[in-house]
Amino acid sequence: MANKLVIEGVDAGYGAVSVLHNVSVTVEPGETVALLGTNGNGKSTLIKAVMGLVRPSKGAIWIEVDGQCTDLIGKTTEEIVNLGIAMVPEGRRLFPKLTVEENLFLGAFRPAARAALASNIEMAYTAFPRLKERRSQLAGSMSGGEQQMLAIARALMSAPRILLVDEPSVGLAPILVSRVIQQIKELKAQNNLTVLMAEQNFNQAIKIADRGYIIVHGEIVFEGKSAAALRENDMVKTYYLGG
Amino acid sequence: MFSFELLINAIVIGILLGGFYAAISLGLQVSFGLLDVVNIAHPAFIILGSYIAYMMGKWIGLDPILTGLLFMPVFFGLGMLVYRIYYESFEKRGAEALRGLAFFFGVLFIVEVALIIVYGVDYRSVDAIYVGPKIEIGVLDLPLRMLVPFVVSMTMAIALILYLSKTFTGRAIKAVAQDRLALQLMAADPVKIKQLAFGISLATTAMAGALLIIILPVEPSVGRLYIGQVFAIVVLAGLGSISGTVYAAIILGVAESFVQTFFGPSWSPAVSFGILLLVLGVRPAGLFGR
Repeated sequence: MANKLVIEGVDAGYGAVSVLHNVSVTVEPGETVALLGTNGNGKSTLIKAVMGLVRPSKGAIWIEVDGQCTDLIGKTTEEIVNLGIAMVPEGRRLFPKLTVEENLFLGAFRPAARAALASNIEMAYTAFPRLKERRSQLAGSMSGGEQQMLAIARALMSAPRILLVDEPSVGLAPILVSRVIQQIKELKAQNNLTVLMAEQNFNQAIKIADRGYIIVHGEIVFEGKSAAALRENDMVKTYYLGG
Repeated sequence: MFSFELLINAIVIGILLGGFYAAISLGLQVSFGLLDVVNIAHPAFIILGSYIAYMMGKWIGLDPILTGLLFMPVFFGLGMLVYRIYYESFEKRGAEALRGLAFFFGVLFIVEVALIIVYGVDYRSVDAIYVGPKIEIGVLDLPLRMLVPFVVSMTMAIALILYLSKTFTGRAIKAVAQDRLALQLMAADPVKIKQLAFGISLATTAMAGALLIIILPVEPSVGRLYIGQVFAIVVLAGLGSISGTVYAAIILGVAESFVQTFFGPSWSPAVSFGILLLVLGVRPAGLFGR
């Protein structure tokens, strides 16, 4: 089934501060698209705009899920999640004083996901055996890597069609970053997801991305049609690859 | 004089008293412990519940516990309304800390003064078949007016614990104060969740009020005596822990009953705060806090 995300000419910001300028990003069905940029260039703002956490002042955002197109502008975050979009937020945003399992159960809050609770929990524990071991431990007491796994697993508990991942590498040791990135790839394949991933770790993101956009000062400055095209780009060489 | 009989009776009465303390604290554990809403008017709603039990008994001879049960949905609705006002006026603007406290202080006085205007300051009590008699088991004296509230309170506590741990909405209630944005990302509306939970919190006061007037005669301002006590129990339990609230209430009930039996009733108010200070010194998160 086709699950597609389209962002067209979006301007957005916080109060008087405008962050995004005429941003257009498309994620085709089944793709993993990387949104690349260093800190403060608007990656998170764009993800938040899709989720209804930031209101765009201009432009359109719409999705196609199971052949049905829906305009996301003006919808509440709850409505957007209910359409089948899940977000793994930057900094993980777990419920620290709830157990691992309670966090996962909350992931399945949306009515469409409740029926599949048992099989989704099973899927999460198979993908992350570590979480099964720690199921009754408080989420806040786990290591950063384990928390990131839980954040991803919790997002998948809502049985999404489109997954937005905001900076999965932040705060993780390098060895964990590549593991988490690899897991996103595997889970994407297993669950037939369409993925948009914001990341500043270019080398890691490019490992699993089909293509990507580079965002600088709130504008898309380059659209790479493939991972190779991104790697060959002069700007990427300057900004990310040290020459 | 110390005797085995006195000791056993002090413990058992203490447990029963603790059961009642649990009933008056459970709702506050939800509003203050889980929602971060400092509802200082909580005991005032309990007294309102007591007066409703009194009036329904007087008018149509309705049993106080049945009255409590019937009025739980009414208080639930009242709680939803009170939270909505609190949210729109304070929480939404991020001004809940001090002004919110003043708001609930105001609610407390409105409820109390309204009851004084309507009923005066005389003590009122209810009549039911379980108010007078007691069961004797060996050396034990079990007054039914303590035993029945204990059973009702424990039932209410178990229902609340099951609701919070086994339902999706219940789990969202436990999470709402920890991270609102994350809860939105789970497709739950934090304001609706808090409103619902606050309704549940007040629903417990309808029953707690009925239990209170079964145990003791009530006048409008006795609620104030319980403010310190309920907050002490909630903090002693550890914020957010419902089962902890039951244990803390029983610990306090037994301690008070002990002091009352062996040292005299004038010392018993000091017990809750004495225990609270002691526990917070050793375990700042409370006895059963996460």
